[in-house]
Amino acid sequence: MRENMKGVKKKDLTPPFVWCMIAQVMEVDEILEQTLLFDFYGELLTEHQKEIYGRFITEDLSLGEIAEEAGISRQGVHDLVRRCSQTLKGYEEKLHLIERFLAVKEKVESIDRLLDDYNEENAGELLRSIRRISGEIIEEL
Amino acid sequence: MAVKIRLRRMGQKKAPFYRIIVADSRSPRDGKFIDEIGTYDPNCDPSAIKVDEEAAKKWLKNGAQPTEVVSKIFKIAGIEK
Repeated sequence: MRENMKGVKKKDLTPPFVWCMIAQVMEVDEILEQTLLFDFYGELLTEHQKEIYGRFITEDLSLGEIAEEAGISRQGVHDLVRRCSQTLKGYEEKLHLIERFLAVKEKVESIDRLLDDYNEENAGELLRSIRRISGEIIEEL
Repeated sequence: MAVKIRLRRMGQKKAPFYRIIVADSRSPRDGKFIDEIGTYDPNCDPSAIKVDEEAAKKWLKNGAQPTEVVSKIFKIAGIEK
């Protein structure tokens, strides 16, 4: 994909290229997903897994660097990281804590945005909107 | 002595954001870093990326190696070697 992007000019930015860029952004955001998984379910990993996987996530260390420091093989780190990812994703599939957290967060943020627009004239309308959203939040919990 | 450009996670639990730092690959553990050249905040929608382009280019030119994620961030920010 990276090769495809070389020499691309603005006028060439037809939808496929735009998709390429969006895909890249999403790939970067994968680290956010992994971090959230670790924040929510990390305590369920063993101490050893927590140590290794935590360093992979929070310090952006390469497999080789972790291996060298922990005194295990690179393959060992690779397997551990993959297994941890799968385990954590498995928890999310069953418990949906992150999904709920993000949904509630988004709704609270929308309340915040509504309040930014507050003035005396739209106060009644705002209150109704906020009440509706707070009802949605309760349902989400 | 290899110098790396990597992300370092900051922010509180469940609300991560990252600094893009330049650090010696030998001393990741002690938290020392040589330079901070940007931030990546995935909490915004879309994710907010800030990079000091000049510093980034300087470090890349001097042979600092970005990690995979950082290369992708540079790519999005339009920074080439």
